[in-house]
Amino acid sequence: MLVIVRSAPDTVDGRRGIKMARDLAADVVLLQNGVYFLQQEHLEDLGFCRTAYVLSDDRKLRGLDPADADRRAKEITYDALVDLMSESNNVVGMF
Amino acid sequence: MGYIAMILRKPPYGDINAAEAVRHALGAASGDWKVSLILVDGGVLLAKQGQDDTGTGFTNLESTLKDCIDMGVDVYADYLSLALQSVKEEELPDGVQVKNESDIASLLKEADQTMIF
Amino acid sequence: MGKTMTLYLSTSPYSYENTLTTVRLADSALDKGHTVNVIASADGVYCFLKSQKAKGITNAEEEFSRLIQKGLKVFL
Repeated sequence: MLVIVRSAPDTVDGRRGIKMARDLAADVVLLQNGVYFLQQEHLEDLGFCRTAYVLSDDRKLRGLDPADADRRAKEITYDALVDLMSESNNVVGMF
Repeated sequence: MGYIAMILRKPPYGDINAAEAVRHALGAASGDWKVSLILVDGGVLLAKQGQDDTGTGFTNLESTLKDCIDMGVDVYADYLSLALQSVKEEELPDGVQVKNESDIASLLKEADQTMIF
Repeated sequence: MGKTMTLYLSTSPYSYENTLTTVRLADSALDKGHTVNVIASADGVYCFLKSQKAKGITNAEEEFSRLIQKGLKVFL
């Protein structure tokens, strides 16, 4: 299962998406302002411990450090995101 | 013509607010207004350097913010918001001044007009 | 074998990043041989108006027109 999060960590929607993924044991894809979840310990603080993917173009657009992506998430392209979505039995989003 | 304060509360690119804030700041500056652009909450993320718009079709807002500074817009970033959004002061482009809440309140008190994005 | 991806777009073309995300996702999925539908509802229907003049942001009319030529199916 895959949950797509497009909202920032300081929004209700963004936090709800991560918490839902945590509760459903789903992986998350961070895109748009959701890529800011790579900063600090946002994912850990919400108890999320499965795989996080981050959309490379959206991270670069915001000038976020690639080291944060390497440490906390797997960086993916749109092509890889399409593959993830087509391989998942359920895709929920976008929060 | 007067003094206008523009407050940006939203991060760039996810929605149009940051693009609108810098667009109107540039417009006001070219129209002889004294302009302050005040970055608070997620708005401080506009001042992050290294924004790469390749392949997105977006106007690069890091460059546009620098245009604002070059045009004489006073750009301020809220100290607490910088900390909360993980933006270090040394990461800010030249010309962005860090202010605390009471400094920002004073800026708003002096303004003839205020716009919030 | 290709699957069907259906994307729901309900926001206006230039106020949010959703236009770009939808265009790029649909483009990649079409390249991979999937069937792609976009259902435009609420303000999303404005993405499909003619004579849009957008610059400095994804031009919804140009991009969706290109994708329709590529096989994208759009439902308003």
